[in-house]
Amino acid sequence: MERQLNTRCVVTGLGMVNAIGANVNECWENALAGKSGIDHVKSVSAKNCYADLGAEIDFALPENKEVDRVSVLCLKASEEAFNDSGIAGNIEDATRFGVIMGSCVGGVVSIEQYITNGEKTEDINKMTISPIANNVATAFGAKGVITNVGNACAAGAISVAYACELIRAGVADAFIVGGADAFASVPFSGFHALHALSENPCSPFNHSNGITLGEGAGAMIVESYEHAAKRGAKIYCDVLAAGISSDAHHITAPRPDGIGQMYAINRAIDMSGLKKSDIGYVNAHGTGTAKNDEAEFLSLHTVFDNSGADLSVSSVKAMVGHCLGAAGAIEAVYSIKALTEGKIPPTVGYSDEDIENLKEKAGDIDFMPNVSKDKELKAVMSNNFAFGGSNASVIFAKDAGEVKEIESDGDVFITGLGIVSPLGNGVENYVAKVSEGARVEGNSAKAEVGKEDFDKFDIKMAFFRKLDKFSLIQVVSGLEALKEAGIVLEEGKEEDYGMIIGTGDGPLTTVYEFEDHIAKEGNENGSAFNFPNTVYNAAGGYLSIKTGLRGYNVTVTNGSQSGLQSVAYAFHEIRQNRAQGMLATGTDENSAVMEKLYGQLGLVAGADAKLYGESGMTLSDGSVSVALENAASAEKHGGKKYARVTGYGMTHEGVKYGSVAGSEAGLKSAVEKALAMAGITADDVDAIYGLGNGVKEYDDIEIAVNKELFGGKKPVHNVRSYVGEARAAAATLSVAHAALTLSGDLPASQKAFFFENGVEEKDVDTSAYKNVLVVAVGVGGSYSAVTLARV
Amino acid sequence: MNEKELQVAEKIKGMLVENLRIPAEELDYEIALFGDGIGLDSVDSLEIISCIDSEFGVAMTGVGKEHFFNITSLTKYVCEHME
Repeated sequence: MERQLNTRCVVTGLGMVNAIGANVNECWENALAGKSGIDHVKSVSAKNCYADLGAEIDFALPENKEVDRVSVLCLKASEEAFNDSGIAGNIEDATRFGVIMGSCVGGVVSIEQYITNGEKTEDINKMTISPIANNVATAFGAKGVITNVGNACAAGAISVAYACELIRAGVADAFIVGGADAFASVPFSGFHALHALSENPCSPFNHSNGITLGEGAGAMIVESYEHAAKRGAKIYCDVLAAGISSDAHHITAPRPDGIGQMYAINRAIDMSGLKKSDIGYVNAHGTGTAKNDEAEFLSLHTVFDNSGADLSVSSVKAMVGHCLGAAGAIEAVYSIKALTEGKIPPTVGYSDEDIENLKEKAGDIDFMPNVSKDKELKAVMSNNFAFGGSNASVIFAKDAGEVKEIESDGDVFITGLGIVSPLGNGVENYVAKVSEGARVEGNSAKAEVGKEDFDKFDIKMAFFRKLDKFSLIQVVSGLEALKEAGIVLEEGKEEDYGMIIGTGDGPLTTVYEFEDHIAKEGNENGSAFNFPNTVYNAAGGYLSIKTGLRGYNVTVTNGSQSGLQSVAYAFHEIRQNRAQGMLATGTDENSAVMEKLYGQLGLVAGADAKLYGESGMTLSDGSVSVALENAASAEKHGGKKYARVTGYGMTHEGVKYGSVAGSEAGLKSAVEKALAMAGITADDVDAIYGLGNGVKEYDDIEIAVNKELFGGKKPVHNVRSYVGEARAAAATLSVAHAALTLSGDLPASQKAFFFENGVEEKDVDTSAYKNVLVVAVGVGGSYSAVTLARV
Repeated sequence: MNEKELQVAEKIKGMLVENLRIPAEELDYEIALFGDGIGLDSVDSLEIISCIDSEFGVAMTGVGKEHFFNITSLTKYVCEHME
């Protein structure tokens, strides 16, 4: 059955900080006045660099030594939005209040700090993107869906889109969404190495000779109209629709033909129920690189010319710089201000001659050189395009509109699996190894991919040599899952298939090594070759390039549970008809760097780890992909229906980041939500695929909640018995292992833990399992639960 | 190649293997680095320029494409411009 998704999503609070202001009002007034925040950089070294400009925040930020600068920025913008919305004290059910934040480089300032300042343990838990949304959730009491989007410069925009999807699905009432990034050596050195930095202040749609980096955060409170109206909230605008796509073209450059951008833009317009001519302002991505600006000119002209639109376009990056993962959020806030104030901020930096030259390129579109203007607006669009070929377009409007999104309750099948693990690669290999009782040994294990995998999936040298291990293992597992599912893209329908990549630590090894190199050799010696792999969505970008999948493509990153969150997210995309099929993955990498960091945190076992045995973990890695398809797609491609996905829950019980102790309520709530969505009770659950990893505080939570919900009587299988703590890969492998059990591919007799009388391990017969539950945890207290059913 | 040129060529080859992850067995001094040969791209050329600058102190920014054709042509350019 299909239902129209009529729920209105409205924006009720705004927050922003960037180089030209400490709050929304300052940022807005300064933008209208054309004030630029670009100056010579102070927080990073530009010694021997050909460019030395940046839009840094030069005023004092709140002191908070517990978190990275990126979280300081994000907390500041979030607090402003939270207070602005008046939502405090008006949240009836905190498990329906979530946080989704976008970031590109996350806590990279703390990586620099760690490397250059005595390798302090306290810096380790600040290094990745994961803590950002956790810190915001804990600060503002959000206990619902908590995650971060790692899609580089489109991340902030995607956070708005996903929050609205979840509200429309009825999963949540309200979110703090946005994005943040801090000025840092890694992106400065990386863009410098790519010769993508401009020597002069960036000049979007004008000189187009490179970017100027910025920093900041943008935040919005997005909630259902019903929730907002009930509490008498001030409403800024509606979020009507969004479009998300992948170029499947190049890891850093946009498609010159603009079709990925145009799909995202057109999808947003189509779903919004608006006419093109209703859109009066586009806040462009407008980075100021030649390739971006050319592609964007083409997209905007192709979409809007001859549509009757009276369109104004500007890029605030000429004033606030390119704030990377914050860009989409900051620019969404500027777009909403433009809509609600009836004023449009300019693109600064044009000379008289430039204005003359602009005329031909601009055609009928007003590119707003130098001066703001008053304009009555009905709807506005904010566009962001990123490394990895990621495209996002979001539409805000004054009125409700007629949103065309629909949702179906049809079956979603797991039709393909891909496994890269320390036990070897391939599903067949995994089944064989598990059947013969193989388990990784020692306290650290690493997966490998090589010639055999490249030959099997026709991955050529010119392609694979570009990828770091993180991306390589993801590409190999993704290709296997697609092949198993038999998914072959039809021409013209490439956007019907996409992927959700889940990762806890992302490309932390590559980022760390990049930083380590420039800390020694100087920012002028960053590696152009390695820099593209420092973005979290590089793996998803490469996989889309290799497969041609041009649909919805998002990387979620919130600890190890990201590998289960990805399954929930992908399931939801298929249910909401944005895709016929999706890959959902979990990928995390082990390396000398990870051994050092996890070892220093005291999480790694001295020798062999013993699950539920207070030993510490076997640090491990891998990449696991599952292909999900709706019934029609599954029939068409004829892949094996391993299992059905029937429900999910995503929750958070905020504890100090770095720990999970005390977050039992989060796991309980995630399980309850998943069971409710699947329409089953705890009694119906035949087995649980657990989250314990040998670290006491993790194991204790699982045991306590299992006893409370299931009396400790249900069998608990745990894939970490076989592969170690592969983090996000273990979370997705739990789904794959459960699917292989339900399908009968794995032997019926398997080991399981029981918690009723201490911890016991017994052989159980799995052949009668009908409904199973998979759970996963992220450090800081985030949980996902997914239910699967036998086909 | 004379001895000095051979040394430079080996260093360049090592750099291509190490920094651009080109399998050593695919590389000889004559194979075309760009296009139908190894298939390097513009980002790789930035890396080559940066590595040659730091290894040999030879600046190749803006230098004609023909000098990047293969390891032999890179070696020739480096040797002619090394101090």
